[in-house]
Amino acid sequence: MCKIRSMRLIVATGLALLVACQPASSQDYGLGEKIRPAPAPRAANPSAGQPRNVTWDDLLPPDWDPLAALKGLDLARLKDGDPRAQKALDDLKRAWEHAPPNRSLHGQRIRIPGFVVPLDGDPKALREFLLVPYFGACIHVPPPPPNQVIHALARELAKAQSMDAVWATGRLEVVRSDTPFGSATYVMQVEQVTPYREKR
Amino acid sequence: MRQLCWLAAHSAWNRRYTLGLVVAAIALSVALLSVIERLRTDLRASFAQAVSGTDLIVGARSSPLQLVLYAVFRMGAVTHEMSWDSAQAIARHPAVAWAVPVTLGDGHRGYPVLGAPASYFQHFRYGAGESLRFATGRPYRGLFEAVLGAEVAERLGYRLGQRILLAHGHDPLAPTHADKPFTVVGILARTGTPVDRTVHIGLEAIEAIHLDWQGGAPIPGLAIPPELVGKFDLTPKSITTVLLGLKSRAQVFAMQRWVETQVGEPLMAVLPGVVLDELWQMLAVAEHGLLAVSALVAGTSLIGLVAVILAGLNERRRSWPSCARWGRGRGASWHCWSWKGWGWSSSPSYSAGSSPPWPSSSPALGWPRSMDLGLPWVGRRRASGCGSPPSPWPACRRAFGRRRAPTAWP
Repeated sequence: MCKIRSMRLIVATGLALLVACQPASSQDYGLGEKIRPAPAPRAANPSAGQPRNVTWDDLLPPDWDPLAALKGLDLARLKDGDPRAQKALDDLKRAWEHAPPNRSLHGQRIRIPGFVVPLDGDPKALREFLLVPYFGACIHVPPPPPNQVIHALARELAKAQSMDAVWATGRLEVVRSDTPFGSATYVMQVEQVTPYREKR
Repeated sequence: MRQLCWLAAHSAWNRRYTLGLVVAAIALSVALLSVIERLRTDLRASFAQAVSGTDLIVGARSSPLQLVLYAVFRMGAVTHEMSWDSAQAIARHPAVAWAVPVTLGDGHRGYPVLGAPASYFQHFRYGAGESLRFATGRPYRGLFEAVLGAEVAERLGYRLGQRILLAHGHDPLAPTHADKPFTVVGILARTGTPVDRTVHIGLEAIEAIHLDWQGGAPIPGLAIPPELVGKFDLTPKSITTVLLGLKSRAQVFAMQRWVETQVGEPLMAVLPGVVLDELWQMLAVAEHGLLAVSALVAGTSLIGLVAVILAGLNERRRSWPSCARWGRGRGASWHCWSWKGWGWSSSPSYSAGSSPPWPSSSPALGWPRSMDLGLPWVGRRRASGCGSPPSPWPACRRAFGRRRAPTAWP
């Protein structure tokens, strides 16, 4: 009897350990939810050739202010239905639609966590995918602005399903693209894709 | 050791019919398991290879899965078409690198007919970004010219210059466009994708064969001969879908949004990779069910094998003392059994399958059973003096020579 109970305990502990070690899967996130912070597995130390850990906010240029249109506009003083308020809001949204990339990151080796949107058909062998900052981007909710999307080119075939949370490591490039959707986009030459695990 | 092998082989030979049946059952179940696994990976691979390099597939608003299945795999049907003007507006967008409008719906002897401009052969990619190659011939230039997929040409035995008739629909009884035959001008190299099963013609050709048709049937009394179709406007009025390639793949979301909101027609743009991923997730349930069933079958036949061994052990009570009599101890008998087990497990039935052999299952399960029988191992062994016996082999031969006695010998 005692033996059985101890066996049960061992099995339960094993299962709990298994669950704890599982990578974060698409079930763990809700629509529009941003990736939850996890400890970086290695200390960021650019001098030792280690990739720099980067957050999605770092991808916004430091000198770019999408709220510029609202500056100098005191909403409390405007009358209801003032066309200036609506115009400022429209300008702000347009600014986000054409959000420029942070050019200071060009050519840097970085490490960034995000959600995978596959561009090819085979989830076992992804050559190209997009990395986005929040769950469900493009599929169920409006897409993120252009400087919050990374076009990843995997050197080795990556293995990830749609909306899996991963760490991507590689060289980030800012590539010119003269289209109505923005003048430049991020492209990442990915060396390594690893599952993103949260600390529980 | 050789003697033990010899013993084991003969013992197995003595119960060859039972063993044969069990081995056949295991072979079949393992074959089933490996066939299902193979089918699963092949199906996945063929689906995954079918499209590559296409950033968006645009069509009338319906289910994304339905659109991708129809446009890429020619499965099912779409409920609505999209207008040619919208297709042109999308193709003119500055972010678009290439756009290939596609019309589906007609068939040729069960194979789907795809209407697309000749640029399709240049832009369409499959597998790891490979483009379509011509085994013989060239893309179509004239109106009534067709390019065949490899499988169509092979199955139907078509060569360059062959005249073919298209039917309005996929089923064999569909009315044919009998007055406007097409000439085969090219045959594509094999790709392993649905392209192999497709007959390709120009978009204008689709329009031309439907000039004298209305609502899916020929207009009675109206027949426009092929040489006169040029008098009419052959610009398509509506198409099924547009395949899009973008200048920058990172802008695929923005373009998707633009197509869905700015074109003026209720349209839908889908990322084929995302939709295929959804398909995998749906198929995963069925896949796992199939695998579980075949694993159960394999498990059942293994249990059958164990049952046969246990039954055999019961018959063989007397063989253990005789084994011990000629001086072999626990280890030797165990070896005897393991050799037999190895013999079975390395038989073609096991090596054919992908699942691992279980070499020690028979001795491991057989051992405690024989202990239960209360066989006097140790005592006998002590009696024989613990050392090596004078000559165990003749005794064994003698014993084996009596194997036709009612008691079975191992």
